[in-house]
Amino acid sequence: MTLPAAAATSSALLESLVERIDVGVFAVDRAGTVALWNRFMAVHSGKSSTAMLGQNLFAMFPELPRAWLEKKLESVFVLGNSAFTLWELRPYLFRFPHDRPITRGLDAMRQNVTFLPLRVAGGEISLVCGTIFDYTETAIAQCRLHEAIAALNTEKAAQGVLIGKLEAAQNQLLQSEKMASIGQLAAGVAHEINNPVGFVNSNLQSLKKYCEQMLHLITTYQAAEAQIADSELLARIAGLKQTLDIDFLQEDLPELIRESEDGLLRIKKIVEDLKDFSHVDESEWQYADLNAGLDSTLNVVWSEVKYKATVDKNYGQLPAVECLAAQLNQVFMNLIVNAAQAVDESRGMGSVTLSTGHQDEWVWVEVRDNGCGMSEDVKRRIFEPFFTTKPVGKGTGLGMSVSYNIVEKHHGRIEIDSHPGQGSRFRVWLPVSQPAATEP
Amino acid sequence: MTMDFISDDQREALQEVANIGMGQAGASIAQVLGEFVELSVPQIRAVDAAEIPAALVALAGDGIASAVRQAFLGELRGEAIVIFSEHSAHDLAELMSYGDALDAPASRELLLDISNVLVGACLGGIAELLRAEIGFSAPSLLADQVSTHQLLQAEAIAARCALLVEVRFGLERRVFRCHLIILMAEDAVAALQRALDRFIEEL
Ligand SMILES: Nc1ncnc2c1ncn2[C@@H]1O[C@H](COP(=O)(O)OP(=O)(O)OP(=O)(O)O)[C@@H](O)[C@H]1O
Ligand SMILES: [Mg+2]
Repeated sequence: MTLPAAAATSSALLESLVERIDVGVFAVDRAGTVALWNRFMAVHSGKSSTAMLGQNLFAMFPELPRAWLEKKLESVFVLGNSAFTLWELRPYLFRFPHDRPITRGLDAMRQNVTFLPLRVAGGEISLVCGTIFDYTETAIAQCRLHEAIAALNTEKAAQGVLIGKLEAAQNQLLQSEKMASIGQLAAGVAHEINNPVGFVNSNLQSLKKYCEQMLHLITTYQAAEAQIADSELLARIAGLKQTLDIDFLQEDLPELIRESEDGLLRIKKIVEDLKDFSHVDESEWQYADLNAGLDSTLNVVWSEVKYKATVDKNYGQLPAVECLAAQLNQVFMNLIVNAAQAVDESRGMGSVTLSTGHQDEWVWVEVRDNGCGMSEDVKRRIFEPFFTTKPVGKGTGLGMSVSYNIVEKHHGRIEIDSHPGQGSRFRVWLPVSQPAATEP
Repeated sequence: MTMDFISDDQREALQEVANIGMGQAGASIAQVLGEFVELSVPQIRAVDAAEIPAALVALAGDGIASAVRQAFLGELRGEAIVIFSEHSAHDLAELMSYGDALDAPASRELLLDISNVLVGACLGGIAELLRAEIGFSAPSLLADQVSTHQLLQAEAIAARCALLVEVRFGLERRVFRCHLIILMAEDAVAALQRALDRFIEEL
């Protein structure tokens, strides 16, 4: 092959390469006249190179951002360096349909464009060549990646919420389990005590009757004492009367029996309260008298309270409230114990006031103390599980968080009013009836 | 650190090349942007990799900045970083003929475009004087509105030490201040030295 022939072949090769390459290639001169338009451009734009060559690019594509693109081309002409556009910032230069009409794709082909300066005659830059690379597949992949990451993040957030709920549930479970076992124990003890108390009581009734009869007999004998002639016998009787202090005995015996009866009555009451409080046999939603619940709860925790504070009651008339009575009692217990524990013993007996009231479709139960009160910080954290300001072993910090969950379950709320040094007031608001959607 | 990987002669030549290059660059940038540009005298020094982040802070000052990086390849290899320490997107958009509505991607593209012009003009000018053939990668955003202390983390720097050329830009009638930093790793400096020697010989 001769030299010119070789050159011709190689330039024909180059020409066909530019024509066939799977990259958009076009060129414009400084006036915007199209000097090159390869097949990729023709296929995707629907405008053949015959139609494009010699035409003004902006006249043929009025939708191009003209001012910006002219500036860009100008900078390449002036500086002689490449300029670029990236699909991530500017999705495309030419709006070409993408190559996925059937399978899912994007609205248009994503393009990275490089503008290259071309010096045709070796001197001045006479043309700027645009090369368009199809980045649609990358864009789709990236889009999926973003979606996946977003989905993962949402899931993670949802899991975070779930974990929080799980923790709360577990805390409550822990506490309810404790309460349930205490309840069962209490119910068991109550049952065991009931039997002996029953027969002690019936025996006591017989004893009382026998005593009365005996005493009656003795008084009758006493009346007959004057008839006794045997002075030795009389002296013995007088001596015995003296040592036994028979007058006192006669007085004290009925008293002792009455006190025992009282004691038995109180035992019966406590046993009943224990059963009431634990409600072992009713874990169902029911309508209950909250005043009665408050009373039986107070009896159960009485030993914790009685040496620290006097308790005043200020109950209003309450309708029966739909609730899980055993759980509400747990709330009242927490509040009463906290109130008693807040009392500053160095200042003498504190005071705890239990009040209840009724307003429209709501009832409230309030426990007020004149104890140490709470700082803003304690108030903010009081419902946090394991938050306690009490010494190790005294508080687990679960009382209020469990109470919160229980009240929440009842669609109620807990109002707190407390100032350091001035005592605290906790008011539990509960709806009389639960909203229909409540599942027991 | 001393300039031990570049001789005094070479350093002098580089300073001269940079001065002339910047002068030419200023003219062509003005032609593209249609406004007069203020350029500082290029400062040249060698720095340890660990010093680069601190050097950037020293240049850009405390505050919030964005940065664009762009590689240059060919006979001279390295990276250019443009730090935008103060700019009005609105002003720049006008210069680059962007439309009025400048959304987030467009305002990032704008920084890339400006960087491309500055880096192309300055490095292109230097390369031409040294008759070295170079090309440029597409610019990419290095940092978008971050504290200047976070522009570049020391761990992110692969080179052991680098030659640093710094030029400050400003526009007379616009809110605009930026720094162009040219970084060449130690091993790429050999090519620069050869080009500089050639330049000195031809003087
Ligand atoms: N009536 C109150 N007066 C002052 N502080 C209170 C009162 N009630 C609760 N607090 C504060 O709230 C904290 C949390 O109360 P919570 O009942 O949840 O836990 P606790 O009483 O410390 O422990 P426990 O699990 O034994 O109940 C208490 O440690 C206390 O600091
Ligand atoms: Mg408590």
